[in-house]
Amino acid sequence: MVTDKQKEFAKLIEPHLPSLYNTALRMTHNQNDAEDLVQDTLFKAYRALDQFQKDTNFRAWVFRILVNTFITAYRKAIRQPQKVSYDDMEEFFLYKRLDETVTIQEVPKEEFLENLFDDDVKEALDNLPYQFRLVVLLCDVEGFSYNEIANIIDAPLGTVMSRLYRGRKLLQRYLWNYAKKRGYITDEFLPKK
Amino acid sequence: MSSYQKNKQEFDCADIEEYVQQYLDNVLDEEKKRLFEEHIEYCLPCDKKIEFERRFKEIIRLKAKENLPHETIDKKLKELLENLS
Repeated sequence: MVTDKQKEFAKLIEPHLPSLYNTALRMTHNQNDAEDLVQDTLFKAYRALDQFQKDTNFRAWVFRILVNTFITAYRKAIRQPQKVSYDDMEEFFLYKRLDETVTIQEVPKEEFLENLFDDDVKEALDNLPYQFRLVVLLCDVEGFSYNEIANIIDAPLGTVMSRLYRGRKLLQRYLWNYAKKRGYITDEFLPKK
Repeated sequence: MSSYQKNKQEFDCADIEEYVQQYLDNVLDEEKKRLFEEHIEYCLPCDKKIEFERRFKEIIRLKAKENLPHETIDKKLKELLENLS
């Protein structure tokens, strides 16, 4: 029998399931683990529902539980943060690389972005160190504000910003490397001279 | 922040590079936003870069989304309700 509490919870959670699942998938890298993570998150959220204050942000609240559940479950795997070189983390990385290589300047640089496959973008995201990946997903994919993200990941605003900006720059670098590796940078994308 | 920056009357290309991400996330204060927009109004190379970055953000959002079919969502929600206690 479905209780009123269950019905209320189902109504609250339903609009957020695709987002939760999507984030879980990018964080765990595979479907089974993502489903487990979402399932655990929902159980915890349901049990803690009384603590959720109505009129506050349910979406941010439930994402906070997802992130905590992820960190607890993957504590071992994420204990040692991946080493990242910040040497060439320049702004406008992709734009500048395209500017250096595109011979036919009439080709809009945005075309490079349009031509990326979904799988390239997903793989690039999956390869980001998890702290960066999480913040980029929460901001750029899920549309949370800096303050909401600070609350979700329990970190100061400055940390959110620096991870987000570094994450995006790394993402551009990864996408550029894929493009070269997969031969997207050929023909009209030939080096100048 | 240095007093030089505080009293800045206009942004140069380096400022654009420094504030581009905050601009695109719409978190710049009014004054910086105004200076930012004044600069890209007349600086075509910066304007083009900003447009590219804007599109980059959109592309990430569009291409990183997993399109979960409605049936899957409904199924999962049903399973969940059955398992909740």
